Amino acid sequence: MKLLLRTLKVLLLGLFLVVALGPLYWVIVTSLKGGQEIYTFPIRYWPSEVTFENYKYLFRISDFSIYFKNSLLISLLASAGALLISVFSGYALSRIRSRRPKLILLLGMYFTQIIPTYMLMSPLFISLAKIGMTDSLIAITFVYVSMMIAFSTIMAKSFFDRIPVALEEVAMTDGCTRTQTIVKVVLPLTLPGLAAIFSFAFVNIWNELFLAVMLLSSNHNMTVPVALNSFISKAGVNWGVLSAGIVVALLPTMLVFAFAQRYIIMGLTEGAVKG
Amino acid sequence: MREQSARYFFLIMIPAFVLLTLFLYYPIIQGTVIAFQKYTLFDMTNTPFIGFDNFKAIFTDINFNFGQIMLNTLIWVCVSLALQFVLGFILALLMQKPFRGRGIYSSLVFYPWALSGFAIGLVWAWIFNGQFGLVNDILLRLGLISNPVGFLSNPSYAMASVIVANIWYGVPFFAIMLLAALQSVPAELMEAGKIDGAGPLRRLFSITIPYIKPTIISTTLLRTMWIMNFPDIIYAMTGGGPSNSTNILATQMINKILKFYDYGQGSAFGVVIMVLLFTYALLYLRLTSGKEETF
Repeated sequence: MKLLLRTLKVLLLGLFLVVALGPLYWVIVTSLKGGQEIYTFPIRYWPSEVTFENYKYLFRISDFSIYFKNSLLISLLASAGALLISVFSGYALSRIRSRRPKLILLLGMYFTQIIPTYMLMSPLFISLAKIGMTDSLIAITFVYVSMMIAFSTIMAKSFFDRIPVALEEVAMTDGCTRTQTIVKVVLPLTLPGLAAIFSFAFVNIWNELFLAVMLLSSNHNMTVPVALNSFISKAGVNWGVLSAGIVVALLPTMLVFAFAQRYIIMGLTEGAVKG
Repeated sequence: MREQSARYFFLIMIPAFVLLTLFLYYPIIQGTVIAFQKYTLFDMTNTPFIGFDNFKAIFTDINFNFGQIMLNTLIWVCVSLALQFVLGFILALLMQKPFRGRGIYSSLVFYPWALSGFAIGLVWAWIFNGQFGLVNDILLRLGLISNPVGFLSNPSYAMASVIVANIWYGVPFFAIMLLAALQSVPAELMEAGKIDGAGPLRRLFSITIPYIKPTIISTTLLRTMWIMNFPDIIYAMTGGGPSNSTNILATQMINKILKFYDYGQGSAFGVVIMVLLFTYALLYLRLTSGKEETF
């Protein structure tokens, strides 16, 4: 009976794993197949000949290296910006003592969490068009920083809440200013938390599609999701090249997840608002 | 000292609130105003106020049935949520006791969480492809069908297909949250149950589930809002089609903006979504805050 349960458990764990990895395996295999083989039926589960044609084609016919660079630059800058700003706002929200202002400020943060980002598509486009700032990588970086601030602040606050105020008081009687205390005493104690905030923001920004589609139009400003979107709207989808594009699009967040999984999970369970 | 630090706290919050005001609060207000204007990309200088005409237009549009879109939204949310939760809970229970390689196992089984919903949608569109898709191949090999099925081009199967993709995407979230909650269940409590002669199932329903009930309630309620506002997978797989069979509020709003360039009607959809969101959020707050002490 016990053995039976154990076997069942292992089988189920295996099944979850196969289902989780299946789609990823399938898109990678498709991206490595030659032009004809993709469109054969019944399906071959491993390419008869592994070829990188689709990847070469992807980087040759489209400016995919530019899109990749744009995405990377925007995601890194905006996550760093969101982290920097929310470290301070999160610290303040954690340490403010007056109840009423604290509650109002916190509500101001939580409120933005129930607003889906696609809701901002038309108003942001219209406002930025008025000042000639559409199709600008700088403008969209600011938009992404703002998009991530609230969640980052809420997460930062929950990390700071756990650090005893007494520690800071010691540092301050030793002659540190408030800012020095934050940088030298508080932040080193919350490094895993900072990693969680950064990786969270990075993943969200790297994956964002709709605001980018709305706000970026010229070819040299496209991000990876916008480029994939333009691939499918063109007539006749080439699944080999598209699969290669998807694999390249998934790679960075998978790497971040592999390295920062512990922190990301911590952030998820800590913040518990956005997934 | 106290007063000085209060000033300092407000000072260091200024950057956050300036950005939030410029790029979130203000656009939300503006989006509400646009809902009452005639506002299209083709004539952005002439934008007269037209009262509730945008709302009338979306409620009576001949290209889609507003009631059907509401029903689709409901099905999309309820079925996705129920199965994401049940499967995520099973996975969390399976992973509760430490086993060799659990760390690696969890990164392999949780990774879908970090992927882009849009890219995931494209992957599943290929898997459900009506001619060369993986699902068709498997079903044919198993002898369950005799000809390939157009999962995404047939209105009777399209919704089920996009929901399958959404479940795959959402299981890790529930598994992560519930696993964390499961690990907070005190071992003594389980031991006590064992000594009292409760079997594994009995312990699950009388000890584990009551203990992690707050997490269950808050994750499912929050996830409801999130799934309702998650157009990425549908947008990538079907764009809301065929014949609106997978169109939900969120995808229809995006279609209005990206396909018809009608920002007025798009914003009217936005207002409808926000009203639903706030009603739901208030209900959620009442439900959770009222019960907090009883747990």
